[in-house]
Amino acid sequence: MTAVAAKPAAGSAMNPTAMVVGVILLIILLVIAAFVSPGLGLMALIGVIIGGVLIGFGVHFVPVGGAPAAMGQAPGIATGVAMLAAGAGLAGLFGGAWAASQGFAIAIITGGVGGGMMMAITCMMVNFVYVFGMGIPAASGKVAKDPITGDTQPEYKSQGTEGHGLPFVSFVGGVTGGILGGAGGTLIYLELLSLYQATLPNVMNASSAQVLPIAVSVAGTFAIGMFLVNAVLTAYNITGTIEGPHDPKFKRWPRAIVASAVASALCGLVAILIVTI
Amino acid sequence: MTVKVEVIEGGVPHTKILIAGLVCTIVCLYLSYLNVVTNTEMFSFFGGLAAIAALIWGSHTIKVLCSYGIGTGVPSAGMIAFGSGVIAMLLATTIKVDVAIPIVALVLAAIIGLILGYLANEVLNMKIPAMIQALTELAIVGALTLMGLAVLITGKFTFVGLTNGSVTLLNSVSMPSYQVSFIGGGLTAVAFLLGAIAIQHPFNACLGPGWKQDRMLMLTAECGFLSMIVAAFMSFALIDAVSAIISLLIALIGWLYTYGEYIRMSKRDAYAWLDSKPIPDVEGH
Repeated sequence: MTAVAAKPAAGSAMNPTAMVVGVILLIILLVIAAFVSPGLGLMALIGVIIGGVLIGFGVHFVPVGGAPAAMGQAPGIATGVAMLAAGAGLAGLFGGAWAASQGFAIAIITGGVGGGMMMAITCMMVNFVYVFGMGIPAASGKVAKDPITGDTQPEYKSQGTEGHGLPFVSFVGGVTGGILGGAGGTLIYLELLSLYQATLPNVMNASSAQVLPIAVSVAGTFAIGMFLVNAVLTAYNITGTIEGPHDPKFKRWPRAIVASAVASALCGLVAILIVTI
Repeated sequence: MTVKVEVIEGGVPHTKILIAGLVCTIVCLYLSYLNVVTNTEMFSFFGGLAAIAALIWGSHTIKVLCSYGIGTGVPSAGMIAFGSGVIAMLLATTIKVDVAIPIVALVLAAIIGLILGYLANEVLNMKIPAMIQALTELAIVGALTLMGLAVLITGKFTFVGLTNGSVTLLNSVSMPSYQVSFIGGGLTAVAFLLGAIAIQHPFNACLGPGWKQDRMLMLTAECGFLSMIVAAFMSFALIDAVSAIISLLIALIGWLYTYGEYIRMSKRDAYAWLDSKPIPDVEGH
């Protein structure tokens, strides 16, 4: 079979035609939203797109190590992007949803703090296990000096590995990614929640207090769905593993921004259509 | 990532599994419509069977996609399948013509999956030949599995059926409540993960040089029935007890059979195995 021969050729190269097609798709989806639900729906969709882009951009910061990291042969947290993003993002989303009644800004900040804290705890415990459990120091394989602390890295790097543990810059990247992802997920949830709270009573012929469980549940489900779609697309962009913001793969983020914007616009449009048709 | 997944020839071709899975899922979903025709909830279990048929097809799609070594881990494919599927499924349930809902879900999910596949393959420059088709299939599988589990739990697949419930007060007065329902009660999230785990686990567990198609698909069926058992328990809250017991019995029998078969196939494919009893009886000490 050709599967073994045809390895994924995802490099850092951009595909200009596809980027243009992506932007055109985004505009078409926005126009459809403006057509079916001008005002409320369009505003919600723009919020959803911003949230999706925040998630897509945020995931690039998270130090994802994958299977090599589990064996101490590459830096990062030893699991896949989807799991890490789901952990941090959903922690943020739950925090933000809990604070939803406190107002827009507070809810989004709470979401960001929730995601950031989840990543901070994860990163700390990962380093704890690496240093005290596996007996390896933290060293980056991609840069000679930590961009933040200026600590040199190669002396601590074992031969035959790409680095190991979580250097300080990866830790900061993880927390930054958690904050962006949590805030983005919360933004999607809040936009959809306000849309459903405004429109569902008419659609279902019920009082706003009665439809609240439906609005919360549908908005939450959609927010989780969109979060996972954006996180996995970003995972495809970085093809699995990344060390953090200092990794050369980080420069691929423009592609993920376009992909996340289009994917969020598509999913957001579907979410809006539920209450408009 | 450095992990290489071997591609092994043989077994039933993917197209055949695709067609069989799709037909079985749609037929089972429509058989659950007997609930409406006969005005009972006895046929809810067809929803669970639809979900299992879709899962079997989906886990083979994941095998096709992940054989290219996408580098993000197998679970991510299950997550994107259900992330895009739940969105399509919820919109499809709001269609006014009840009979069209499964087909609309299929078409909507296909459109969403197609666009996501294009984004992954072209915008993100993955350049994997199977990518677009696989993500399209996975979105359909996600949507239909969720719809199947929704039918299993509530007996219906309309938005009204999934959001309306009732609570009985003082054993006599029945009051409508949106909270006692599939969507309002948050069961969507449980169904989401029950399906997502069942779809991504089999290939994740069976991949490698010793991969055998029948063993992986049997594991999928086993995971599907396991999810169906949990969903059947949840259905006690929303459908009548007799129907829920029928679903539970079918799920239990199916799980026992597929589990036994899976263990048999694992022993068949193993180089050697020792039946070490859990705690050996030690006598005379």
